[in-house]
Amino acid sequence: MSNRLSGPIAWLLFPVTAAMMFFILAPLLVTVAISFSDTPYVVFPPRGFTMNWYAKVLQDSDFQTSLSFSSLLAVGATMGALLLGVPAAFAVARHQFPGRGAAAAMLLSPLVFPVLITGVALLQLFATLRSDSTPLNMLIAHVLVTMPYVVRTVTASLTLADTNLEDAARTLGAGRWRVFRRITIPQIAPGLAAGALFAFMVSFDNFPISLWLADAQHNPIPLLVFQMIGNVFEPSIAAISTLMILLAMVIVMALERVMGLRRAMAI
Amino acid sequence: MAALPVQALPATPPARARNPLRVWPALPQAATTALLLPSLAFLVMFFAFPAVGLLACSVLTQAPDGTIGLPLTLEHYRHFFGTPLYSHVLLTTLRISLVTTGVAMALGYPVALVMVRTNPLVNRILTMVVIAPLIVSVVVRTYGWQLILANGKTGILNWLLLTTGLMRSPVKLLYSETAVVIGSLHVFYPMMVLPLASALGRIDPRIEDAARTLGATSWRIFRRVTVPLSLPGLAVGATLVFSLTAGSFVTPAILGGSSAQMLGMLVDQQILVVYDWPFGATVATVLVTIVLAVNVVSFRVLNLRRTARAA
Repeated sequence: MSNRLSGPIAWLLFPVTAAMMFFILAPLLVTVAISFSDTPYVVFPPRGFTMNWYAKVLQDSDFQTSLSFSSLLAVGATMGALLLGVPAAFAVARHQFPGRGAAAAMLLSPLVFPVLITGVALLQLFATLRSDSTPLNMLIAHVLVTMPYVVRTVTASLTLADTNLEDAARTLGAGRWRVFRRITIPQIAPGLAAGALFAFMVSFDNFPISLWLADAQHNPIPLLVFQMIGNVFEPSIAAISTLMILLAMVIVMALERVMGLRRAMAI
Repeated sequence: MAALPVQALPATPPARARNPLRVWPALPQAATTALLLPSLAFLVMFFAFPAVGLLACSVLTQAPDGTIGLPLTLEHYRHFFGTPLYSHVLLTTLRISLVTTGVAMALGYPVALVMVRTNPLVNRILTMVVIAPLIVSVVVRTYGWQLILANGKTGILNWLLLTTGLMRSPVKLLYSETAVVIGSLHVFYPMMVLPLASALGRIDPRIEDAARTLGATSWRIFRRVTVPLSLPGLAVGATLVFSLTAGSFVTPAILGGSSAQMLGMLVDQQILVVYDWPFGATVATVLVTIVLAVNVVSFRVLNLRRTARAA
């Protein structure tokens, strides 16, 4: 009912909402604006217009190394998270077994625990195990933080899928595997895609885990930006940030397309 | 990273009529085990085990050569709670988290209400604007706030205040608790709005209609019907914002600096700079205890309400 917001309450609500939308977008818009500023330092309002900061950043070898490492790591983490998370989601969403609630809680527990502390704990574990391959350690850590998102999104889409269709196919004589391939998978395909996109972004954006495990050769983008904030004062940080914002927007559009943003986040 | 909402799984699949041909429950127990075992084993190995290991480290002793072992001691906790500097960091963390949660509630409610009570197009736009920044790295978003809040004339807020003549001289905002609260509010605001909006969306409109028919004013309906029915969403939102703010690192490190030190930064400093693992683990344990306590309390409260309603 659209007429429910009327009277004095509405007069209060709409301005607050508009102000909050501005608050949410302001730091992103400012960053984008500064990235085009034709000045050797950050200045507002930005002066002139240049794409030089983008050219500089894209040619920078540190940035290239970080970008390729971050991308590989995010792809690897996504595959790992799908491999472990999708079967788990099936078990939790479709099977009745003792301890089902506990298993579901365990699968999502990394989301409740402070991520920063998960990172320290892993650093200690890897040191104890003398596992000194940074890429492998970071892959394990990123699978750990992305898997709960896959479990949540895929479980949500399995819960929403219509099991009557599966029953109907069985009644019509289809085998279990065929039902799975022809009925179940197509129904949850958007959930799988959304889970994968999410896992990719969570890994690509991650800071509090990478902080502990990265080294100079394996320095993901968020860490690079963080280090630059401390000692670079030119708009090149804004250029990298804008590229990250752009990537995030592409993923948001894709999520909205494949599953609907709210459903993909299982809220 | 984009910290995202922590919410329970859709706990039980919707009840359906019993059907002897049910495809999945007919699978043997062994299949369930096979599906679950890899992920649970992974979580035990790389999450539960190291987490317990780290927390245990807080009661162990570090030898001068760096090895950590017996004897058991509570010395690190005594050191933590007995040193004014560390108590100050603890209080700062609690204060920043509480203020952020309060402000997020006050500013989240109106937006959530508009989201569920407006037309579908506006709702869709609002949802996009609220969710989209979640997918942008916290480091990037905090950088934007650093640009806005920067001290001196280069800060965008200061530029605005000076240009419009609202202020004569630039205000000092960056490297303060206020800056950390603003940054944290921005980062975690969606965690408040989204659960609230979903709770508000579930309220049966007929209840409010009934109240109106019985002569209640819209303010009274809001206070006596809408707010009480949305409390579960508010509780989830508050828990999320509080725990995530308390455990944050990037925002206080960039916007707070040394004048708004939080527990996360202390852990980082103790472990990566001082190499004092047991003390770093102690600070970590304090942080984990706060976060888990808040989660347990809110979970209990929500469950009590649910059972009370069912009874």
